[in-house]
Amino acid sequence: MFKKILVANRGEIALRIILSCKELGIKTVAIFSEADRHALHVRFADEAICIGPAKSTDSYLNVPSVISAAEVSDADAIHPGYGFLSESAYFAEVCESSRVKFIGPSSESIRLMGNKVRARSEMDRLGLPVLPGSDAIHTEEEAVATAEAIGYPIIIKAVAGGGGRGMRVVQNRGELLTALKTAQAEAASAFAVPYCYIEKFIDRARHIEFQIMADEYGNVIHLGERECSIQRRHQKLIEEAPAVIMSSELREDIGSSVVRAMTDIGYSSVGTLEFLVDERNNFYFMEMNTRIQVEHPVTELVTGIDLVRDQILIAAGEKLPHRQNDIHFRGHALECRINAEDPVTHKPSPGKITSWHAPGGPGVRVDTAAYAEYVIPPYYDSLIAKLVVHGSDRDEAIRRMDRALDMFVLEGVKTTIPLHRQILRNAEFRSGKIYTKFLDHLQNNRARAVEMA
Amino acid sequence: MDLKELKEIIEFVTSKEEIEELELEKSGVRLRIKRSSNHAAPRSPATVRSGMTAADTEGLTSAPPPAASQQEEDLFYIKSPIVGTFYHAPSPGSEPFVSVGDFVDKGSVVCIIEAMKLMNEIESEAAGEVVSILVEDGKPVEYGERLFAIRPR
Repeated sequence: MFKKILVANRGEIALRIILSCKELGIKTVAIFSEADRHALHVRFADEAICIGPAKSTDSYLNVPSVISAAEVSDADAIHPGYGFLSESAYFAEVCESSRVKFIGPSSESIRLMGNKVRARSEMDRLGLPVLPGSDAIHTEEEAVATAEAIGYPIIIKAVAGGGGRGMRVVQNRGELLTALKTAQAEAASAFAVPYCYIEKFIDRARHIEFQIMADEYGNVIHLGERECSIQRRHQKLIEEAPAVIMSSELREDIGSSVVRAMTDIGYSSVGTLEFLVDERNNFYFMEMNTRIQVEHPVTELVTGIDLVRDQILIAAGEKLPHRQNDIHFRGHALECRINAEDPVTHKPSPGKITSWHAPGGPGVRVDTAAYAEYVIPPYYDSLIAKLVVHGSDRDEAIRRMDRALDMFVLEGVKTTIPLHRQILRNAEFRSGKIYTKFLDHLQNNRARAVEMA
Repeated sequence: MDLKELKEIIEFVTSKEEIEELELEKSGVRLRIKRSSNHAAPRSPATVRSGMTAADTEGLTSAPPPAASQQEEDLFYIKSPIVGTFYHAPSPGSEPFVSVGDFVDKGSVVCIIEAMKLMNEIESEAAGEVVSILVEDGKPVEYGERLFAIRPR
């Protein structure tokens, strides 16, 4: 087992990793930028090292600094969390050659899944359904012909993609070339790789993903699904488990094909396969995230499994602590992402939290690194807290979430709390009729209502 | 009380060395100024430096700040640009790059910081006399940590 883990992240996920390490009796090293000197991950780690200035490219994304911090602190493993270096095959490689264990899959697995086109064709080959789509598009003629063959509407996506950047939905030929150019420019600036590909676009789709866990000995299990259809600008806002449309037969069906594919590529660690689901409940593989995800707590609440703990155990060379037959799903979990942003315009709202009270009580969990008087720096993402609830069924979970949101006191910055309360009151949401454009429609309708009034 | 008045008060108080604490309340504004006696740079209590045992850390906090008295004469601090291990000499057993009392020029190599098996030569950003060396040979340093105090020429 590891003696000391360096946590190469910040915010709530850094703290989340530290919690599991404490319970496992593993020492922790926090790294921080000059902007995070007063952050809680620094406070609760056994050691902390300042690795650079506020800008993340000079600190949390700076590979030599992170590795050097692991060396001077004598850490034997690095947990990358999500974002930052978590899906950098290069970083995983440097860890491998520096004899520091990267807590995640092999660099080959990261590289395979990081290339969305390769991942698609590989999963297609291994029997997962994929949407009709193309390879990387190089010329305008190619784009026109491909879109024609697939049939509009289509979506342009970045090969190196993720996080909704480099994505454009195109309804007809007239919009195609402009959309392609902006998507390529966005991809180039976000991922330093301009290449994009084309995929069939499903208008009214759900986003449902499968959590998997695999060890280094070829044992793979799935931990069911999470429904993440409540999004804005391709960024998730509310996640839940189980998905309303899921039956145990369908779960078993998708789950077992996912497990087969992961066994085949020799994946080891936790990971998530994202699917688009059409109105007839057909699943199409979109992409895989080779890291712990923001929304992992909803799976933890319905399965009773500590995913971060198991991810560490697997990296340390232990066998999977669970068999597929041990996995049972109990009740319903919901997660609301409380972001420091304007609930209507979604503009970030960094600043000082002047008053703070996090809700508690039965079935409520708050993952956060914020506190009263904490100053949310403008340099990083806007997530302040993940409010997660567990209830015996979806109805109870929604009511529990509503009262928890009501009891969340968070002043000084604008947050998504009012937006969450609005979504929870919506009849379509309550009946589970959700799709990825749900929030856009909700907010457009509201804007129209305001105009008419 | 407007911003200008506030500034004037703060400037006046900080120019008087003997005033250590001042509290003032006027037309709804409450001002409290507290000054530390030796102006030592604050160090975050939450920060524990890597690689240090509890004894090391104790030694660091219980010993009087070495440069406390000189700090008032505007010393220049060479800070570590990277995380790594501090070495005062080019190789084990050889003469240190600089010792207390030496004069350094801008651009003189003052130490090495090892990061990822690479030896990075650190240059002085100021010319002057080395007043103190703040890190022990072979110890880990973090980004921005003070390495040398220089009295500028």
